[in-house]
Amino acid sequence: MMRMLGFAALGLALIFLLGPFLIIAGAGFSSGDLLVFPPQGFSLRWYGAVFEIERFRESFVLSMQLAVGSTVLALLLGVPAAYAMARYQVPGGEWIRTIVTAPVIVPAIIAGLALLRYTVIPLGLPVMAALVLGHTALVAPYAVRVVTVSLTHLRPDVEEAAVLLGATRTGAFFKVVLPNIRNGMMAAFILGFITSFNQVPVSLFLTGPGVTTLPIDMLAAMEFVYDPSIAALSTLLALMSVSIVLIAERVLGLSRYV
Amino acid sequence: MSDPEYLALRNITIAYGKTVAVNDVSISVPQGELLALLGPSGCGKTTLMRAIAGLLPLTTGSIALNKRDITRVPANKREVGLVFQSYALFPHLSVFENVAFGLRLRKISGDQLQQRVDGAIAMVGLQGFERRLPKELSGGQQQRVALARSVVVRPSLLLLDEPLSNLDARLRLEMRSELHRLHRDLGVTMIYVTHDQTEALALADRIVVMRDGCVAQSGTPEDLYERPTSGFVARFMGFENILSVTPEGLAGEPGRLDAATSSVRDARALAWRPQNVVLGQGPFSGRVVGASYQGETTEYLIDSAAGMLKAQSPVVSQRFAPGDAINFDLPFDRAVKLAES
Amino acid sequence: MFADRRIGLALAAPALLFVGLAFLLPVGILLTEGLRTPAGWTLSRFTTFFTDPLALEVTFRTLRLGFGVTIMSAIIGYAVALAVIETGPGNRARMTALFILPLMISPVARTYAWIVLLGRTGLINKAVVGLGLSDEPLRLLFTETAVFIGLLQLFLPLMVLSLTSALENMPADVLPAARVLGAGWLTIFFRVILPLTREGLIVGGTLVFTGAVTAYITPAVLGGAKVLMLETLLYQRVSVANDIATASVIAAILIAMSIATHSLIRRITTRRRA
Repeated sequence: MMRMLGFAALGLALIFLLGPFLIIAGAGFSSGDLLVFPPQGFSLRWYGAVFEIERFRESFVLSMQLAVGSTVLALLLGVPAAYAMARYQVPGGEWIRTIVTAPVIVPAIIAGLALLRYTVIPLGLPVMAALVLGHTALVAPYAVRVVTVSLTHLRPDVEEAAVLLGATRTGAFFKVVLPNIRNGMMAAFILGFITSFNQVPVSLFLTGPGVTTLPIDMLAAMEFVYDPSIAALSTLLALMSVSIVLIAERVLGLSRYV
Repeated sequence: MSDPEYLALRNITIAYGKTVAVNDVSISVPQGELLALLGPSGCGKTTLMRAIAGLLPLTTGSIALNKRDITRVPANKREVGLVFQSYALFPHLSVFENVAFGLRLRKISGDQLQQRVDGAIAMVGLQGFERRLPKELSGGQQQRVALARSVVVRPSLLLLDEPLSNLDARLRLEMRSELHRLHRDLGVTMIYVTHDQTEALALADRIVVMRDGCVAQSGTPEDLYERPTSGFVARFMGFENILSVTPEGLAGEPGRLDAATSSVRDARALAWRPQNVVLGQGPFSGRVVGASYQGETTEYLIDSAAGMLKAQSPVVSQRFAPGDAINFDLPFDRAVKLAES
Repeated sequence: MFADRRIGLALAAPALLFVGLAFLLPVGILLTEGLRTPAGWTLSRFTTFFTDPLALEVTFRTLRLGFGVTIMSAIIGYAVALAVIETGPGNRARMTALFILPLMISPVARTYAWIVLLGRTGLINKAVVGLGLSDEPLRLLFTETAVFIGLLQLFLPLMVLSLTSALENMPADVLPAARVLGAGWLTIFFRVILPLTREGLIVGGTLVFTGAVTAYITPAVLGGAKVLMLETLLYQRVSVANDIATASVIAAILIAMSIATHSLIRRITTRRRA
């Protein structure tokens, strides 16, 4: 009896979580001009149309560039920091960890507003630079955390062994540490990429006229677009995220790092 | 002949803040010797070994290897090999590449690389495992890879950190004789760090016993086993009954040291192994408080005026049960004289 | 080999400086804005904020939604997590993946789906009218209920994952042992499962709660100007009135809530490790 109820709950929860996607995916297949479910007729019209809409194309490219750029930057900052905290007894280590991971705690909309008013405007930074600053800060904690996890799986004496065989410290890092945390870095990259790509609040204040990210653009479009294009676009984005995650899970075992 | 001061550690002190891990230690190791650094955990032996490898800086003192002062030479230029307790194999590299790692850094390639790696792998008996990754090997096999990886670059000195401690009992015996053979065949000077006195006794040419960061005693295995000079070393070597000597005689048993035993009066303490305690007769008396059957012998715990003593006697002889009053003897001719208790 | 702390500090310095200068410094300045007037330091903005009926309503609504979503996700989460555990180890990994999946999908896309469902001509209204339950379409969008549903869908997976891992770490024989002893399901739940998974519940609960109270997209899309939460209020005040002082006060409230819940999680996770 309780078992039956449990499985019913599980089924309902999955329908609640995933069902809406099936509905917007379905709505996207409509051949009519209005967003409704069940769809009016069936066509790939709106899935094709999404690629024709210039503003979505531009903001998609910008979001991709932003996600890749800020994740790479976050890794460049985060990997040495994670390494330092995993290997060296850095003075004030706990404080450093708290500071570097602080962006997780501060609600992103606040960070965006603060960056805009006290960094971007006074320094006259272009929109893209502002977005990169905000997104890098948001992604850096993930980079630090994921890389830290993979560093704890590698014993420090492995590096010492490399040094005793004649490698320099830097050489030992590149020849021994890096190949062993490669999967962790890939996992961090994927998590960072998805975090940045889907991020809305930090970008709200930072995007400017004509320069905007895809999710912000979609939010804006929802107010006046009533055709199924946004449904189709949402479906495509969901598919993109899901396939990235599934491939990463297969290849890297992503869930170990989450 | 070989240089008696091939490795010279002079007045080495290593301190972290207020804790002194190694305190003014000087040791000389002749070329080709297998020296065991023996001591309980926390005695400073691992710290000293890491300092010799260059992984830790000295607070004071100097290290010379083959007449060259290496005190300030960085670890990667010392030509000192180290077999880690955890083996520290490179997880992403095959057995072959693990062994080839040091050679590649020395710009050795082609046939020469192949030959030397093959030779090292053959030496530890791992032919056929070249393509395996470390995680696909047993503990004993990983140990062999670690050995091959360290010796293939022909280090001037090879350090081994508790190399057998992660193996089961049978493998440990096998690896022990393997290490013995390697040392004989390669002639490389080796320092073997262990807390296990049987390993040290079986393998080493010479043993240095450390305690609290200092050298407690050094000498050949026979020296240490037969003639420990302190209670600490004696206990390590299996002398479980240690009685201090006072002007009145033995502690707790005054009057037992008479003129006939004047030869032991200059000692600070006397020590007996359990098997050297004679049970059933003699001037000492006590009470059996424990008896444990061990196959060929029985071990007794005896409460006496001199303290708690441990005795071992063959099972075939007279048996005692807990609670029995017992007479026993501590023969002075079997005792070891200690300069300090 | 890793004794030289200067090297460690040098490696950590770029990240430290970046986050410090590009993130914490501006956020810090923003926080001081609410405490500063041309006349000097003051707490008057806070008192004004907490006496403004709209601001109070929004604050209470944010807390109400935060607690409501947390409690609801805990109830659903336990039922679901127990069922996931029952499916056996092999299926368990697959089930876990199903709950990770939605987390990776754009929250904008996830929220948008509810417009299709809850709109005037949405699926639910069609069903309601079609079945004759109501003569005209119900107002579902731009209500607190819509925001509640959206938030629940967004953050339920966090609770499920947290409870599943807590249940996995429970000693294997506890449930059969309790059943053998004749305990009823309610007794088992309240006397055995709940105490043993308390930490997972708190971790999941704080993740859901902070997520819900600091959400922007869901109230913006499903609540609109009628159902404001703290973040949408902040956005509105800044973009409409350029009211930085109020933004600073809201920022302080949100950061305080976030720090409090995060330090609760940290206390629990470090105690578990100790």
